[in-house]
Amino acid sequence: MRAVVIGAHRRREDIGDDASAISVSDLFLSGVELAPDQPASDRELLLRVARIRAALLARATFVAIRYGFVISNESDAAAKCAPHVERWRRLLDAHGDDVEMTLKIAAAAPQPRPRREEHASGAEYLRALHRATQAASIDDEFRNAVEASLVPLARAHRWQHRDNASLELALLVARDRVDAINTAGAALKSFDVPFLLSGPWPLEVFAQEEQP
Amino acid sequence: MADTDEELSLLETLDHLLDRGVVIAGEAVISIGDVDLLYLGLNIVLANVDAIVRTANKR
Repeated sequence: MRAVVIGAHRRREDIGDDASAISVSDLFLSGVELAPDQPASDRELLLRVARIRAALLARATFVAIRYGFVISNESDAAAKCAPHVERWRRLLDAHGDDVEMTLKIAAAAPQPRPRREEHASGAEYLRALHRATQAASIDDEFRNAVEASLVPLARAHRWQHRDNASLELALLVARDRVDAINTAGAALKSFDVPFLLSGPWPLEVFAQEEQP
Repeated sequence: MADTDEELSLLETLDHLLDRGVVIAGEAVISIGDVDLLYLGLNIVLANVDAIVRTANKR
């Protein structure tokens, strides 16, 4: 059995018939089985996994595992996941009724993307990419409005630099607050600032330790 | 506008699938440039599309 893993779940019934359940300690991984010669990069598989991921979240919150993690059997899964199980259990017990929402906001003045040929080495180029990402900032008035309207509705929030042209706010919210988040997000359309509010998502950003 | 919303929804969904969550071991290299539009009902998306279009026109 080879399977691409979607997430870590607290109970087997949180997976149901939407995916295969693979036992790891007292948690369960959801997985989609691969044909013997099927690569994980198969396009149809990717779209199928995206649909299953959404169905799983409709059942219950889970810890999202980035696409590409493939296991060959239960003992393989147990060995690879052992360092993470305690943290996942803690997260699922604390946030089993929460989901994430993401607000992606266009930078007020996007930083030019560094060009590889203008840098002598790969390391120098990566540093330039990092600097451009960290320098992206958004309109102060819009940020204040977000802090005043969306952030108070969330259990936790994290501002994140992800690229040279946008900034992102990840919100951890109770499921029954999702509608309120959407309503507050709709009010932000009065600003002339491009943004994208999406979700609900499983535990993605908040499944990871906060970066300093 | 509906097509734009669906396209944004798909792109955002794939972005989350491929670039979020716990990293354990990656072995897949994905090309999503030619992925068909797909409607994923659960992931609602609210976009300030008017502002996106205005910004695009200014550039």
